[in-house]
Amino acid sequence: MKFLSYVLLLLSISFSAVGEESEPAKVWLERLSSALNKLNFSTSFVVVKNNQAQPYHWFHGVDESGKELEILSLLNGPRRDILRKGNVVSYIEPELPPYSVTSQQISGPIPAILAGDISQLENIYDFISVGRSRVLGRPAQLIRIEAKNNHRYAYWLWLDQQSSMLLKLSIVTKQGQQLEQIQFTHLEITDKPSESVLQLNETELPVLVDIPEEYQQQELQWDVNWLPEGFTKINANRHKISLTKQPVEFMLLSDGLVDISIYVNSSQEKQRNADFVMDGATLVLNQVNDGIEVSVVGKIPSKTAKAIADAITIKPPQKP
Amino acid sequence: MSEGKFETVSSCVDNFQHDEQTFDNIINDEHLSTTWDRYHLIGDVLRNDTPDVLQLDLSAEIAKAIAAEPTVLAPKTTNVFMLKLKAKVVEFAKPVGQLAIAASAAGLMVLGVQSNVAQNNETILPSQIVKTIPMAGIAEPVSLNFQEPDRASQKQAFIDQQRRFHALLSDHQQQIKLGSLTVDSTNTDNESETTSIDNKKANKSN
Repeated sequence: MKFLSYVLLLLSISFSAVGEESEPAKVWLERLSSALNKLNFSTSFVVVKNNQAQPYHWFHGVDESGKELEILSLLNGPRRDILRKGNVVSYIEPELPPYSVTSQQISGPIPAILAGDISQLENIYDFISVGRSRVLGRPAQLIRIEAKNNHRYAYWLWLDQQSSMLLKLSIVTKQGQQLEQIQFTHLEITDKPSESVLQLNETELPVLVDIPEEYQQQELQWDVNWLPEGFTKINANRHKISLTKQPVEFMLLSDGLVDISIYVNSSQEKQRNADFVMDGATLVLNQVNDGIEVSVVGKIPSKTAKAIADAITIKPPQKP
Repeated sequence: MSEGKFETVSSCVDNFQHDEQTFDNIINDEHLSTTWDRYHLIGDVLRNDTPDVLQLDLSAEIAKAIAAEPTVLAPKTTNVFMLKLKAKVVEFAKPVGQLAIAASAAGLMVLGVQSNVAQNNETILPSQIVKTIPMAGIAEPVSLNFQEPDRASQKQAFIDQQRRFHALLSDHQQQIKLGSLTVDSTNTDNESETTSIDNKKANKSN
């Protein structure tokens, strides 16, 4: 009798454990998305990369009319604030005068897709529920977003068991090396939006920049013959790089989670071998081939970036 | 008799601070107390303080006289007061000591930071955010035979490259911020999405 009860006890424990573990990772990510959109939270986190830590404050709230209010500010160095009021996002940065754009999401260190529709990623990434650990003093569920092919990095997310909020995020290579980490250091979830967030409603945001669609969809003088599966063209334009005043033909690609920029311009140099730097997980690769300078920027492995850079072909001139 | 004890006696003679325990030890040990006498005598001679007539057994005489005196049995009021005073002095003295230690540590840190800055001075380059990693097989060997102009041009190339990387990185981040506008219009998951598109149209008509 005693033996039987032990067996039953063991069985029940193992079943309950399996029951919780096997909860699909996608459900966790959907809960995260809804938490990021609906909760009133005040958090702090640090971005750890290149042996440096950048501290941020992040406030989010939903006011009585159901409008989302959000503030993300970098705490060290020159002021970098991102404000969001509904679908207007304002960037306050040292390089440019403050401006606003129409957008549903702020573009910060945390991938915007996590607050969006995660099912967009299903074709290219696998969602894996790995196990539990303790993060920020809370029980957390580890979810991995792993690319189905070798051309990308993996994203590991630690989510709060209780609120499904993000507690930690790591960008990891296929070999398991951590390139960039976001560690939350404080999380406060409240019933009502905090004062600092509500103040946004009274604040007047900077002027809205209206970018005509034609500008972002220009015909470029080159083409890229190979891209990792899942990347599509978002924008194509001609502009000058603000710091070097170098005119470039530019293309922005995205797979929903990762953004890649490709820059093409003519160079005074005839040939220069590929060289790259890494800023955390963000890679900047630059090479000159036959007087054409190609640069690839994005959170991708160097092999992928090199393959993209090599796949650039110049279109034969159509008009003299 | 260890050397340490003689040293203690010597330091007592030289008026260095010691607790009562040490003095008691010296007094109770005959050998040490004679050493005490001798050290004082040596000191007096060196300072030319010796009286005209040397009475070497003066302390012994005094000790005999004290022993002959009757014992007074009275409450030690003054002593208690002195003890309290002493305790307060000690309490006050301790934090000061800690402050001194903290101050000296701060001094060390300032020194350390300054020396670090001095060391880094040579290698300060504009916008060097990250280390360049050449693609496999292109790293050129660095040799001592390099001539100055070569090195200067190399350094210039390095600086140019760093600047280029930095500019590309910040432009990339900029473009993502502007690009999110078009990313949104392809999403059709929220009800609020439609309002955002409406807003866009409204903005355009303005």
